[in-house]
Amino acid sequence: MPVTKIAPLVVIAAASLGLSGCATKQFVREQVAVVNARVDTLEQRVGANEAATRQAAADAQAAGTAASAANQTTNQRIDQLNARVDGLEQRMTRPKRARN
Amino acid sequence: MILLAAALAAASPAEPADAAPAADTVAPAANKAAPAEPPTRSAAAERVTAWVAGTGDNHGHPYIIVDKPAARVYLFDKTGKPLREAPVLIGRAIGDEATPAIGRKSLSEIGPAEKTTPAGRYLARFGRAVGHPVLWVDYATSVALHTIPPANKEHRRARMLSPQIDDNRITFGCINVPEAFYKAVGPRFRKDGGYVYVLPDVKPLETVFPMLAVYRPPGAADLAATPR
Repeated sequence: MPVTKIAPLVVIAAASLGLSGCATKQFVREQVAVVNARVDTLEQRVGANEAATRQAAADAQAAGTAASAANQTTNQRIDQLNARVDGLEQRMTRPKRARN
Repeated sequence: MILLAAALAAASPAEPADAAPAADTVAPAANKAAPAEPPTRSAAAERVTAWVAGTGDNHGHPYIIVDKPAARVYLFDKTGKPLREAPVLIGRAIGDEATPAIGRKSLSEIGPAEKTTPAGRYLARFGRAVGHPVLWVDYATSVALHTIPPANKEHRRARMLSPQIDDNRITFGCINVPEAFYKAVGPRFRKDGGYVYVLPDVKPLETVFPMLAVYRPPGAADLAATPR
């Protein structure tokens, strides 16, 4: 076959291969960009959630500590009052029998 | 028998500052093998011990933890250092409440189901009682901590010596401890009293000691705050 007849075929084949290769890379890049964007968004949201969770945990712990301190103070006061009442009762009445 | 009596009545010398907690496990009967090591605290007792020591709930007083399910009692000094442990006799009935007005009843008026040792946290003080002074745990419900009453028909001494737990439930609600344990309590509680924590039979631990629910041991808190 003469070269003049083969040359156009070779050019067409090479061009079609080259064109199809460019389109595949483009497609992949586009898809990767979409996925990257979604990952970035999710990462930001996870970061924000984590910060909020930490803050909530810190707030809860602070509230728990404050409640615990208030409860201890109240308990101590009740203990003191109970002791005074028991002491008065013991002084005013005859000795009591323990439940052995 | 003489050995048993001697063991229960033995006075304990004052503990040196760095002494390990003494176990008033009382001398075992001749036909019972001696335990190799002092019994360890139950999970519930460990939890309450850690909470009291970790939060200073004892407000600088010495304290006692009565583990009803294990029939054991533990004495700590005001800094939370364990001093002694011993077997204990407690109320015959299983339960964590005291019947209303039971403190005004005579022993003969107390029914079988009323013979509970109420669970809770008490500021205990020595005070007058019929017969001899006792450590009043809950004066209102007549629950006290003292040694085994001399005149009893229930073989309480043998029950205390027995390795079984069930037979330690025999009193009308009071807490009977070995004499050596009681003598260790005396000087520490004499002036300003101390706290007694009675662990429950049936109630959840957090119901009896509500602050346990919000208490986190230091290690656990550090772990939660550690950034990932």
